[in-house]
Amino acid sequence: MKKVVLALVIMGIILSWGAGFAAEVKNPDTLIVADIGTVDSLDPAWAYDTASGARIFNIYETLVSFKDGKTDEFIPVLATKVPSVENGLISPDGLTYTFPIRKGVKFHNGEILTPEDVEYSFERAMVQDRDGGPVWMLYEPLLGVHGSRDSEGNIVIDFEQIDKAVEVEGDNVVFHLKHPYPPFLTILANTWGSIVSKKFCVKHGDWPGTAETWKKYNNPEPGKETLHAIACGTGPFKLERWEPGVETVVARFDDYWQGPAKLKRVIWKIVEEWTTRKLMFLAGDADIIYVPQPYIQELEGVEGIRVAKKLPSLTLSAAFFNFNINPEGNADIGSGKLDGEGIPPDFFSDKDVRLGFAYSFDWETYLQDVFMGEALKPVGPIPEGIAYRNPEQETYYFDPEKAKEHFKKAWGGKVWEKGFKFTILYNTGNTMREIAARMFEENVEALNPKFKIEVRPVEWSTYLKELVNRRLTLFIIGWLADYADPHNFVHPFMHSQGDFSAFQSYHNPIVDELIERGIKTIDPEKRGQIYYQLQLIYYDDVPSVPLYQQLLRHYERDWVHGWYFNPIYPNGEIQGYLYPIYKK
Amino acid sequence: MLNYIIRRLLLIIPVLIGVSVIIFLILSLFSPEQRAAVFVTDIKQLRDIQGVIAKHGLDAPIYVQYFRWISEVLKGNLGWSKTAERPVLEAFFYFFPTTLELGLFSAPLIILIGIYLGGTAAVHQDKFVDHASRVFAIVGWSLPSFWLGLVLLMVFYGYFSGLFPPESLGVKASLVVKSGDFTRFTGINTIDALLNGKLWIFVDALRHLVLPVATLTIIDCAMVMRIMRSSMLEVLGKGYIITARAKGADEKTVIKKHARKNAMIPVITVSGYLFAMLMSGVVITETIFNRKGLGWWWARAAIQLDIPAVLGAVLFNGILFVITNLIVDLLYAYFDPRVRLG
Repeated sequence: MKKVVLALVIMGIILSWGAGFAAEVKNPDTLIVADIGTVDSLDPAWAYDTASGARIFNIYETLVSFKDGKTDEFIPVLATKVPSVENGLISPDGLTYTFPIRKGVKFHNGEILTPEDVEYSFERAMVQDRDGGPVWMLYEPLLGVHGSRDSEGNIVIDFEQIDKAVEVEGDNVVFHLKHPYPPFLTILANTWGSIVSKKFCVKHGDWPGTAETWKKYNNPEPGKETLHAIACGTGPFKLERWEPGVETVVARFDDYWQGPAKLKRVIWKIVEEWTTRKLMFLAGDADIIYVPQPYIQELEGVEGIRVAKKLPSLTLSAAFFNFNINPEGNADIGSGKLDGEGIPPDFFSDKDVRLGFAYSFDWETYLQDVFMGEALKPVGPIPEGIAYRNPEQETYYFDPEKAKEHFKKAWGGKVWEKGFKFTILYNTGNTMREIAARMFEENVEALNPKFKIEVRPVEWSTYLKELVNRRLTLFIIGWLADYADPHNFVHPFMHSQGDFSAFQSYHNPIVDELIERGIKTIDPEKRGQIYYQLQLIYYDDVPSVPLYQQLLRHYERDWVHGWYFNPIYPNGEIQGYLYPIYKK
Repeated sequence: MLNYIIRRLLLIIPVLIGVSVIIFLILSLFSPEQRAAVFVTDIKQLRDIQGVIAKHGLDAPIYVQYFRWISEVLKGNLGWSKTAERPVLEAFFYFFPTTLELGLFSAPLIILIGIYLGGTAAVHQDKFVDHASRVFAIVGWSLPSFWLGLVLLMVFYGYFSGLFPPESLGVKASLVVKSGDFTRFTGINTIDALLNGKLWIFVDALRHLVLPVATLTIIDCAMVMRIMRSSMLEVLGKGYIITARAKGADEKTVIKKHARKNAMIPVITVSGYLFAMLMSGVVITETIFNRKGLGWWWARAAIQLDIPAVLGAVLFNGILFVITNLIVDLLYAYFDPRVRLG
């Protein structure tokens, strides 16, 4: 009897131990962020991914930054004033930007910030200019070119051009632009505009700042960039350690010029398995986590957590038509002819084909079922939150009858008569793109039994190969803003040399001219007219079908305070800017 | 004996050449754009993809790429792993201790529990112990490791408020271990904690090991148990066992001295394979419990076509299997005097 009672008591203790999740604050002076994004590099001139950006954003600082949650208002940071035409720090022709540099700011190594550090930071970035990096955003406004090398890898600029673009004048740093560039300030406010310590960099083997040596430091091998795994910024946190693929730890910088942060330490952990990440969150071993969209229901109604919903992302996903599909070895176009067993390479060059697809997409169902209503239907290539978006722009909608009407007209009636067959590829694991592709498949096939679409997943490396070789028929892909300006969307979506449009062989000379004019136009009203016109042409030409602009969520334990959202911050919906955050 | 061992170890060279050639032949099926994918993770980088291909020599003939790689390997340079963001060799020494620690704690349990249960089941054939062991074996072997791992995590970490957490160490222990006040002798948290005299870190590391070790043990000891049982049943039917009993030896002596040792040969084979498998990383267990070891790294490397890392994995596993097979053969000779080496 005694043994039975003892056993019951022990069981009761064990069962009552199961509280479900922790209520007390664990690690009160340390914020733990559990995410999935792996860091590419901690070098601000190298890093172009959001995971790296999230760390760099809190270790380094820029000349100006965004005011609170705004993307079009700035505050001075390492500069003492935000340049404007009104205060005379931007020349009336928009070609010169002057930044008075703040005094008394310390780097993490104790050195004091000087204008020479600022000059060096930008010149260094342009010297490094690695393949596929972010520095083209400095090259375009300052030198009027895409980068330091041509497509064959030969250096095509002189150091003098870099040297003259950024200069120290007393306590100021002056930028000389090749042509007016309205989003220049917003570019400088992002992580590729981070200010580094020249002494620290040179001490660790970086470019010494001389004309004779610059080519040696151009386009380094991955991992060889000086600030790959070390850091010395002026930000509120300094790098404690980075274990690639595992975690990044930053510690409070007590000599931060705006006063020490409240948190003593921040740890970003990479936890790829969703259930593990969720359990850590509920147990209090993670304070903020990334929650993939398919799993948001698992945290609905859970006590002890705080959720911010419907945060507008600066992203846009669309289905792009390939106007001139590469037929070489391309099984995805079937017979390669309009004979019911394939499609010809120029199938999508017919506007009625594109319109048929545009009217076949059921946005209401897609946005509700896939995103549970947490996504917006885009009106064109400029998402909500970006200037000059025309909310009244006419747009396509789900209308099978209209779709049918256009398919009947397409290719002089042959499409309807013969039918077609092709494959849409998507990259494995991307559920949103898969469902969008299947929606096209289902809705288009329902119009005519001779219409056959196959949807197939492939690994990212294969998808990339097919995209680069222009073999994709219709590709669904998304764009995340580099900076908050319409140019950063219309160029990739519509310019003949744009990141997407180049792979779909879409070329409208009027569009190219408008985009090139729009980026150089300072007058806001004139600029607005250009982008409105571009949105109209987008609707008219329908080079792609804009599918969704995702709304995001932020999840934190209720003892976390001080977080706020800015869509342009790297991983802004996860941890954003750490300085004001604390736990209580 | 020594000559035999040396001859077997020298086999490593042709094995490594063979497997690396096979891998490069497989690689030749991938286009330069596919192989560049590991460096181009975002659409925005695509405009420079030709530069990436040229820079890394991905469009050179495959035999040129192979000889380039071999010449670097002979200099001790296994290349840069993009998935690990480190040189391959450095990444290996970084991730290996995590895998080794898991293997060192799991392997003995898997083997010893498997041998004990298998032997006991055989001795008590068709009795309750035998039936229970076989059910355990079937269930254990059938359970997917990701499912078992997640269930254990949900119960012992989720429900029981963090009793046995995932990862390798808690936050406090991790900060101490990675600070300058702690010496990393081996990279294995449990061993280093003891060597640094930090018992609380040792306990913390053990707590974090319980669930992944339990997962691996439940699933893998089933295989050892089944093989031990079959082998033991076969041995128990042999003439010398009957003779031993007839000569008056007690049952305990018959089982321990005569039966078990002779039943071990097939168990040694499977144990060797098991150990090698554990040492080369158990990707699912490592992912579920967020313990970043070799399995986790190499799985990502394979998916992302991180060729230097994949080749590093091939080299390591080639060496591992040659050495494991050698140890197994040496153990054969120990357990069975009839076996002659060489």
